Amino acid sequence: MVDENVLRDKAKEILSSGEVRRLIGWKRGTYGYEAAPCVITDASQADDLIFDATCVQNPASFITLEEKLPVPRGQQPDTRKIAVMVKGCDSRAVVQHLVEKAYIRDDVVILGIPCRGVIDRRKAEKIFGEAPQPVLAVAEKDGVVIRVNGEEKKVSREEILADKCLRCRYPNPVISDYPLGDEVEKWADDDFSDVSEFEKESPEEKWAFWEEEFSKCIRCYACRNVCPMCYCVECIVTKLKPQWTRRSTDLSENTVYHIQRAWHLAGRCIECMECQRVCPMDIPIMTLNRKLTKDVKELFDYEPGVDAEAQPLLASYNPQDPEEYIM
Amino acid sequence: MSNDFEPNIIGFLCNWCSYAGADLAGTSRTHYLPNVKIIRVMCSGRVNPLFIVNALQQGADGVLISGCHPGDCHYLEGNYFARRRFVLMHKLLEHVGVDPRRVQMSWVSASEGAKFKDVVEKIVSDVKEAGPMDQFRRRQLNW
Repeated sequence: MVDENVLRDKAKEILSSGEVRRLIGWKRGTYGYEAAPCVITDASQADDLIFDATCVQNPASFITLEEKLPVPRGQQPDTRKIAVMVKGCDSRAVVQHLVEKAYIRDDVVILGIPCRGVIDRRKAEKIFGEAPQPVLAVAEKDGVVIRVNGEEKKVSREEILADKCLRCRYPNPVISDYPLGDEVEKWADDDFSDVSEFEKESPEEKWAFWEEEFSKCIRCYACRNVCPMCYCVECIVTKLKPQWTRRSTDLSENTVYHIQRAWHLAGRCIECMECQRVCPMDIPIMTLNRKLTKDVKELFDYEPGVDAEAQPLLASYNPQDPEEYIM
Repeated sequence: MSNDFEPNIIGFLCNWCSYAGADLAGTSRTHYLPNVKIIRVMCSGRVNPLFIVNALQQGADGVLISGCHPGDCHYLEGNYFARRRFVLMHKLLEHVGVDPRRVQMSWVSASEGAKFKDVVEKIVSDVKEAGPMDQFRRRQLNW
């Protein structure tokens, strides 16, 4: 974990040096269990920055969202860098961006923050109910100290931390220019037991599960918009020529949309679980992504978002790739 | 499933090997089942895995992708890319609940007319067993 004063001092130093044009981080929200992401451009705003267990949102999503308007004649484009505060999982998104050459390494300044886990809004609401005031939460080794509506309580990690944190393999950022705070030790491992459990079911049972889940989808595309890896200028699901999927919200189109979305993240998903967090209909979207993550690991021994020098999975091949499904 | 179900299968065949293989099967008067509707593509690497999903959505009961043997690709490496993509998409569709027998891939070279016949027979019998694709087929709307 990191002392917030260290964080703010570093942010002030970077912003006042003129090295960066903006810094993406978190500030206290106006209500609820989640901190708000913020973009600051001036050192005087740095005192808003925070980091605690409410900082769920992945700030790496915003790096690729910047609108690049044409520069008026006679003016020079702003070539200063973008600074971004990242947790362990967010740093993998930055690495995967670098692998895909969404931007180059010299374009970003990474402030890496070791993280002991973030809280899950849905779990917290079950315990504490709604929170009209912003919540403060600090994840510790043996529990989470959380301050809701003026009352401070300590709850166990399993009760309140997000699922991704309970199986986190990268609590410390895998890439950073300025590591802030002390590294934390890894507390969990991921055995993909939930995926292998689901794989054992018959096709009929699987489809019965997905039929129910996919029919709930309202196609708000929140999962796509929040995803740090979905940064295509024109997305395939909104494209009209050719139209890959129609816009009606029926079972057929919803299924195809979710297959497309999962497919486009094959070998790219870094499991920040933002898609599932923002889903208003509570669809377990990550079950699809985790299946692909597991297969990619087993079949091709590849893990996205770890090595910035790696080749993208589907843009490379190995002549010895498995062939078990091919006649 | 009753035996009178005749599946619709879309076959994406690569121009240089499998399409020529299917051609050879035809010119040598081999009888192969007519359920596979062939679409010629220039390389199996041309087949976007979303073609499979799209075909299943639009009424196909099965999809066959066929290309040159590894190492024989006319474009040197197209079928290696196709292989990676296919295996992942196959697993993803299986996870969603699509019968894994519906989607198959094969390597058929230009001289393997007999093998093409076997491949077609296998996928047709597999898809017959799996039955009609009714999971996420697009409904025909009558406006």
